[in-house]
Formats: sequence, C-alpha cells, structure tokens
Amino acid sequence: MQLINLEIDRIIIHQVYQRDQEGQKVDPLQSHDYTRFDKNAMDAFITRVRDALGEESSAVPMQIVNQNDGDLPRLVDDVMEMGDSDFSVSSYDFALKLASAQQRRSIPGGILVVFTGTQGATPKRFLGLIKAEVHSGYEKEVNTDTQEISLKFVEELLLTPGTKLYKTAAFFEKPKYGNEVEDLNQKWTVMISDYQISRTDGKAAAQYFYSDFLGFGYPKSSARTTKNFYDSANKFIADLDVSESDKSELLNALTTYLKVEKTPTVSSSDFASKYFNDETKDDFLAHMEDSGVPTSAFTKDIEHIESKLKFRKVKFGGNIKFWAPHEVFAEKVSMETIPGDLDESGQPAQWTKILVKDRVMQQE
Amino acid sequence: MKESDFLQNWHEEKSSYEAWGGFVAEEILSHLRANEIDTTSFLKVPPIPRLKTDASLLDKAFYRKSKKYKNPYDEIEDKVGVRFVVLLLGDIETINKVIVNHPAWEYDACKHFNEDRRRDPLLFTYQSVHFILRPKITFEFGGVYVPAGMPCEVQVRTLLQHAHAELTHDAIYKAKRAIQPEVHRTVAKSMALIETTDDFFGQVSLKLSSGPLEELGVDARLDGMYRSITGNFPSNQKSSIVIWDEFEDLITGDLPSLIESFLARNQFLGEIIVKKYLDNGLYQQSVVLFIYWMLKRKRTRLLKDWPLERVLLDSLATDLGISLENH
Repeated sequence: MQLINLEIDRIIIHQVYQRDQEGQKVDPLQSHDYTRFDKNAMDAFITRVRDALGEESSAVPMQIVNQNDGDLPRLVDDVMEMGDSDFSVSSYDFALKLASAQQRRSIPGGILVVFTGTQGATPKRFLGLIKAEVHSGYEKEVNTDTQEISLKFVEELLLTPGTKLYKTAAFFEKPKYGNEVEDLNQKWTVMISDYQISRTDGKAAAQYFYSDFLGFGYPKSSARTTKNFYDSANKFIADLDVSESDKSELLNALTTYLKVEKTPTVSSSDFASKYFNDETKDDFLAHMEDSGVPTSAFTKDIEHIESKLKFRKVKFGGNIKFWAPHEVFAEKVSMETIPGDLDESGQPAQWTKILVKDRVMQQE
Repeated sequence: MKESDFLQNWHEEKSSYEAWGGFVAEEILSHLRANEIDTTSFLKVPPIPRLKTDASLLDKAFYRKSKKYKNPYDEIEDKVGVRFVVLLLGDIETINKVIVNHPAWEYDACKHFNEDRRRDPLLFTYQSVHFILRPKITFEFGGVYVPAGMPCEVQVRTLLQHAHAELTHDAIYKAKRAIQPEVHRTVAKSMALIETTDDFFGQVSLKLSSGPLEELGVDARLDGMYRSITGNFPSNQKSSIVIWDEFEDLITGDLPSLIESFLARNQFLGEIIVKKYLDNGLYQQSVVLFIYWMLKRKRTRLLKDWPLERVLLDSLATDLGISLENH
C-alpha cells in the first residue's frame, strides 16, 4: 500500500502479558495518557510503520471476517469517531482483546501500540496496531572523563528495526464508501505485516494475531491477483532479451515460486530479488506495477492457474509442441538455441536443441 | 593636415567620441545581461571606453614609420575604444554575436585572429578580435550629439591573449632600446603557448559543462516541472551534480517525459516539497523529482548506488510511502 503523506496524531500504549503458570489470562496494564514523541522519535516511528506496511513491504491485504458487535473490527469502526479522551479509554479494549487471543502460554507479552493518523493525497484516516515484543540489548555509554566506551544492559527494548520483533496491522479508511456500510470491508482496507512468522509456515501472520485478535481472514481476490502475477511475469520473461535457455530457466523458477515454495505470500519484489539481477529487477517491478499487480505482497492462491502450473509447454514453428510436467521439465529437459543452416540471406537459421535425459518409451 | 588642425578637430569632437564609446559599452553589456550572463564574472576586465591621449594620437598620425596616412584624422579609427576581456575562446563568440546583431550600428570586422591564423599559419603574434562600429544614424546620448559614421574600436580577446597584448604593447612598443631577436622569439613562443592553453581551457570547460543532462535538456525540463508543481524556483546545488553523476546512464531523451507522467500520477508531491522545503537541501533542488521517480521505478539501483547519506532517502521514501525494509 502506498502510504503517502503519512501523519500520525495519537499514540497510546498498553502493556500485555504472557499467560501465567496456570495458563490464565493476566489483565493488561492500561495507559491513560497519550505518548508524545519528539520529532526524531516520531520520524523513526513513521519509518517503522512505512517499512512494515508501505509499498514493497511484506505486508499483505487481508479481509475482515469477524464483524459482529464486540469483534475488533467493529471496535475500530466505533473508536474512529471518538474524541481524544474517549479514545484513550476505549483503546484499552484492544489490549483486552489481544490478551484473550493469546491463548497459549508460549506467546510472549509485550506492548500494544494503538495509533491513528491520516494518509493519502487527499488525507483519509487510519488506525494502526503494533504488538511489539520486549527484548534485551545494550546501550553504548561513553565515560566523559576517560572517553572509554562501555555497554549498559537494557532489559526492555522495543521496536528495533534489526530484530523486527513486532507485528503490525492497520485499518485504512477507503476513499469512498456509502452511508450505510453493512460489510466493514466496504469501508476499510486492512493490511497485516508479521515479521516474526517464518515464511515457510504457509501463513502470512500468526493465527492468534490475524484471526483471533484482529478477526481477519485471507482475501477472496487472491486467486485473481495470483493469476495476474503469473501472467504478467510470464509476459515479462517472454519479452526479455536473453537466450532461450535462460528464459526456460526463469519460467521454471516462476512455476517453482508459485507452486513448490511454501511461502504463503507472493510479491514482485520478492520474486525479483531471488531471480533477477539489479537492473532487470527494477524493470520487472515497473512492468508488474504497470500490469496492475499490487506493489506490496499478497496472499498466494493458485486456484486459477493450477493447470498452467502443472505443465511446462514449449511451442515451435511448424506446429511442433513439446510439453512435460513441470517438475520433470525442470529436472530432465534442457534447451539450447544453436545456429542452423544458412538461409537465403546467408544468415544461419535459429534451431533449438532439446536434450531429454531419458529414453523413448513409446512412439505413435 | 597640420598637427594643430588635427588637434583642434579632435578637441571639438572628443566628447562625441566619448559618448559613442559609452553607448557601445553599455549596449553590449545590457545585451549580455539579457542573455542571463552575469557580466561582472563573465568579463575579466571592466569594459571602460577609453579615448586616445593627444600625445599618442599625434604620434600615431604623424610619426609612425610603418604607416603613412593621407588623411590621418579620418583614417585613425581607434580614437575611442572599448575592450572586452573574457576567459574562454567560446566567450569571444558570445560577444561577437551581440555586436554583429545589434541594429544601432554598422560593423566592420577588421581583425579576427582566426583569419590571421589562416593567412599566416606559421606566425605566432598578437591575437584579438577587432571591430569598428559606426552609428547608422546621428543621435544623442547623455545629452551629447553623436554623428552617424563616427568610429569606435571594439577589441574582444581572452584573458591570456590580453596578458600577451599587455606585455608586448607596454614592453615592446615602448621599449627604450632596439629589441633583440631572441626577445621577439620568446614573445612568439609565449603566444604559441597561449594559443595552446586557450584551446585546452576550451576543452576543459566543454567537458565540465556538457553531458547528457545538458545536451538533452533534462535539467531545464526538470527545473520547469519543479517550478510548476511547487511554485518556487529550484536552487540547484553541488549535491545534485553528485547524484546525476552517479546515475548518468539513466539520463535519456525520454527521462523528462517519464518523470512528468510519474508526477501527473503523484500530484501531491508538490505540496510535500513545499512543506518540507527547509528540512533538507534535496527538497530545494529539481533533482528531487528524479529521486522520487527512481524510488518508484529504479529502487534497487537507487539504493545500491545512492551517493549521499541514506537518511536523506529515508525522508523521501516516507513521502512516497515506500517501504525500504527489503533493501
């Protein structure tokens, strides 16, 4: 999501705890006052939010699923209308929700940052939630007399960009919606970013966070978006000025990326950084954006392209077709362009040499 | 013509010559300024019109061995003169253009070192460009009457040519003893060196001031876009040169239109630039538009080769809402 013109006006922080020895919920600690950052601290905070949710981030759009009274999305919809004093009180409800959602004792405590602001060329409101885990670290100290450097142990550190021990979610008000909104998805675009989820887990975020706490689900449009990603990337590779064998490898990679890899999300920049050099990478990103593929990550759904991913097909002139299951193609087939007979103008024709690492089983 | 008649003529017309010299100097200066040239740095010596002294005029009219005049008063055309001294050979052409295109006078291009070089390719001697300018019609300037046809000599030369002229004029023409051949030889050698150096200066200045940015007019187009979206004039600094230098290969003829269509899709940027104008120097330069465009379309390259501090980019990325976490 392109978070232009990002401004933050209210920040309030509550503390949530790990479940106790018996697995019982511990009530969160409530703050009553807003956090006031100085300019540097605010710039850094905005940078964290931008990196977590902005364009080219690993944040994915989600869908609001739970929207009954008392569900978190409904609470968000309500508090956005409140003045500062009511908002600070109501924001504690989010902390209570999070404490309930953290059902296993293995889930650590931390802080819940609730913040609101505006974004967009024509500013629209948004509400953000960050659950940050506390970790320890060191602070540099310089003795003013001796200039000697020592390290002071800091037990509770938060939101350090290197460790990325935080999860972020946000509700962005849509530019247009009707007066009577029945489905909150018509009014809010929701995004989620979880730095802590292992990308091979097959989930975009920890379940307790995206589902139990936030009430989100994976969007239904993912299959369409994934197909657009596949088609656009396919076209880009086909138009690339590289040898046929390189193209073949890139097409194999594209199929692997979508079909074999366990990552739950797809993003142009992720694919590009894995398979293209820097220069091609920028061209690829520009092409994908121009083709309408989201500039952020999105959840993968290969429903519409399943059959395409099954087989790798190569078409030649003269109605010659060659096709093989994707996995087999990548493993046992290699292609190479070679110079053929000279044509009338004295130029060698382009021929293709196909190597199949197996014997012929049958001919018709 | 006797010396006394000559002087009487001269004294009667002196103030007209002075006015005519002043007019010529002022007109050339104002035309240079109209071409956005800062004349105080462009001209290395102030162009002050100078009248010949009585003594040097008489000397030239009656006592030069080399040249005999039939009618010295009319034939001597440098009774008033203005000199324009510039740094580079190319600058001379700038002034020449102003002179030959000016509607107020007829010009006689009586000396140009390029022609001298063609005529006497083996000779290294005094080099300059000389014009004789005469008003087309009689007119009044500063309350003084200037008759049509009154001559004024304009000299145009480089600083190095000027140095050579100063030396030869003062030290050789006015020498109190016969000049040894080796002195002539040495002066000629310096002129050869000066001509060589002037050529080198020209090459250096060309290398410094021309690149794809100027040749393709990209800088001017960007300045225009900056003005139109912010309402301010950009104040381009050295930091922009460093940036352009790093990404020179991206400067192509269609870069301005790429940036233009990017801006059309992101019109809010003008407002942000104005709001953050004092935050850091990048916002005051038109190169900021190029960086915004790169952040959007050439991010990998930008982040890999960014020649300045990373925090400057951070601020611009926030404006566009682009995450830098994966870089």
